[in-house]
Amino acid sequence: MNTEPVISLIGVTKRIGRTNIIDDLTFDVPQGEIFGFLGPNGAGKTTTIRMIVGLMSITKGQILIKGKNIKTEFEQAIRHVGAIVESPEMYKYLSGYQNLVHYARMVPGVTKDRIDEVVSLVKLENRIHDKVKKYSLGMRQRLGVAQALLHRPSLLILDEPTNGLDPAGIRELRDYLRNLTRTEGITVVVSSHLLSEMELMCDRVAIIQRGKLVNVMPIQHFTQGDDQDQTYLIQAQPSEQALETIKNMDGVRRVNLVEDEKIEVTTDREQIPDILIGLMQNQVRIYGVQLVCQTLEDRFLEITEGGQIG
Amino acid sequence: MVNLVLNENMKIYRRLRTWILIGLMIAFVLFVNIMNWHFDGKSAQGKGWRTELQKEITQWNEVLKQPKLDKQTKKYYQQQIAINEYHLEQNIRSTEGTLWDGVNGSAGMMIVITIFTIIIVGDSVAGEFSSGTIKLLLIRPASRTKILVSKYISLLLFGILLLLTLFVVSVVINGILFGFGHMDLPLIKATAEGQVVESNMLLNLWKTYMLNSVSTVMYVSMAFMISSAFRSSAMAIGLSIVSLFAGNIVMQALQRFDWSKYLLFANTDLTQYLSGLPFQEGMTLSFSITVLIVYFTLFNLISWLIFTRRDVAS
Ligand SMILES: Nc1ncnc2c1ncn2[C@@H]1O[C@H](COP(=O)(O)OP(=O)(O)O)[C@@H](O)[C@H]1O
Ligand SMILES: [Mg+2]
Repeated sequence: MNTEPVISLIGVTKRIGRTNIIDDLTFDVPQGEIFGFLGPNGAGKTTTIRMIVGLMSITKGQILIKGKNIKTEFEQAIRHVGAIVESPEMYKYLSGYQNLVHYARMVPGVTKDRIDEVVSLVKLENRIHDKVKKYSLGMRQRLGVAQALLHRPSLLILDEPTNGLDPAGIRELRDYLRNLTRTEGITVVVSSHLLSEMELMCDRVAIIQRGKLVNVMPIQHFTQGDDQDQTYLIQAQPSEQALETIKNMDGVRRVNLVEDEKIEVTTDREQIPDILIGLMQNQVRIYGVQLVCQTLEDRFLEITEGGQIG
Repeated sequence: MVNLVLNENMKIYRRLRTWILIGLMIAFVLFVNIMNWHFDGKSAQGKGWRTELQKEITQWNEVLKQPKLDKQTKKYYQQQIAINEYHLEQNIRSTEGTLWDGVNGSAGMMIVITIFTIIIVGDSVAGEFSSGTIKLLLIRPASRTKILVSKYISLLLFGILLLLTLFVVSVVINGILFGFGHMDLPLIKATAEGQVVESNMLLNLWKTYMLNSVSTVMYVSMAFMISSAFRSSAMAIGLSIVSLFAGNIVMQALQRFDWSKYLLFANTDLTQYLSGLPFQEGMTLSFSITVLIVYFTLFNLISWLIFTRRDVAS
């Protein structure tokens, strides 16, 4: 497998007027990954995507796609990219098929067979010769995906693709993206302001807030925290004594009584056996120990220090 | 590049709007020619061309007797008389009452071509922005320059299509009205030196078309520039058509200023050098061509700079 990142952003900054809407973004996405780009509305997701696909100029820094600079080697860089920026606006007075022919003509090597292939991929066979004017929102989204995949891109960029989709549609999209990364080794960058969607879809997530990168991490770390910082729920009696005991132990970051008999402890994973031994030695009866998975929501609020979402 | 032009053509001709304009063009040409035939052409056919020409000569001789005639006007009537006499001597009939009368007259409808082309031009770039399709158009391995050039080419092709429509429809309708005889009738005209010569009628017609096309191309470039600068179809179409009409009026007011000869509108009509009556004394064909080239370059340079540089943020 190729270890060179499919896309890398290096110190990317966008200044409009006197403010940096995007400020010093740096991250890489390796091949085959579904990379989430998460942030509240107005965080700068769309702006970043516009810079990646060359719709907007980059004030400072650079963006490389398969090693090609989007600014200086636009044509070589962009041929690896398929994208939907915000909603996929098509020529409404043309049929879906004519729209695809239009985009196919712009990239060398897209055959008629390939057009038919993507049409069946997005299940638009029956309506592809209708005018786009008559399409539903869902059909337009699918036609958008079709135009993005037409030229077999290595990198697929979707800006808030779940907007306007129902839960079934979102699930379909998710399975579909998984499939693409597995069978074709495609890399996907997908933006969203909805955490729950990212959680199910992505391998790694970058959080962006007010144009700044807050964090990049695998989705598991995201939901569970890392090994040094995990939260457990211990059911024990008498709880007063348990609380006292735990408070006096090493390596405990936080402890509090959440409700009767339930104590929440945040500590290093390695500390848990010692805590339990300590409790037993103090005649505390333990009924249950449970790792608390934070929801993405909690985690997000923690990381962005309460920055509001969506 | 060929593919890009095919794309732009698809976007022009797959729209109802375009066919309405072409239909209107045909309707206008038919209407004007049928009216012309109805009120004018029929009578000329009836009395015979010799009588008509003779009558004209007599009329013009009367005019020439007036004492206060300026040199230009005098020269003009003398030439016309010479041309008519040539017709009579050589037994070559006048275009009056033949299809050429209508066909040549229809060349005056090229302003309609300019207007209709401007309508399509104005929407060409601005329409991609207002519909949002520009985002998907510009993220392909085709540089913005190539996309802009292919748009420009497709728009010129549309203008050429309208011109061919004008030509074919005017020949066919006038052929039907006046008959297709006299197709090989020569054009009798006076040279700048006052000599009367014969030339090819069809060739002359296309020369007129080409000279008028210069102005069309200038207005197309102007509308194209406004379309890419302001991203507003209405503004591009409106401003261009207003300047097309207001241009001449404004120029008349400005004629007394020497600098007005550098304005675009003073130079778009190159037929002024055929008639030998330029906008200002001392203007030459090469002067006008130079001025036009400067404006042409300027318009297209601005379109290009704006289209290739600006952020797509809508
Ligand atoms: N053309 C522009 N001029 C000025 N500010 C802009 C422009 N485009 C976007 N912004 C600002 O940049 C920020 C990021 O916008 P955007 O990238 O659309 O966010 P997101 O897609 O994450 O919701 C917003 O605060 C927006 O107001
Ligand atoms: Mg957005």
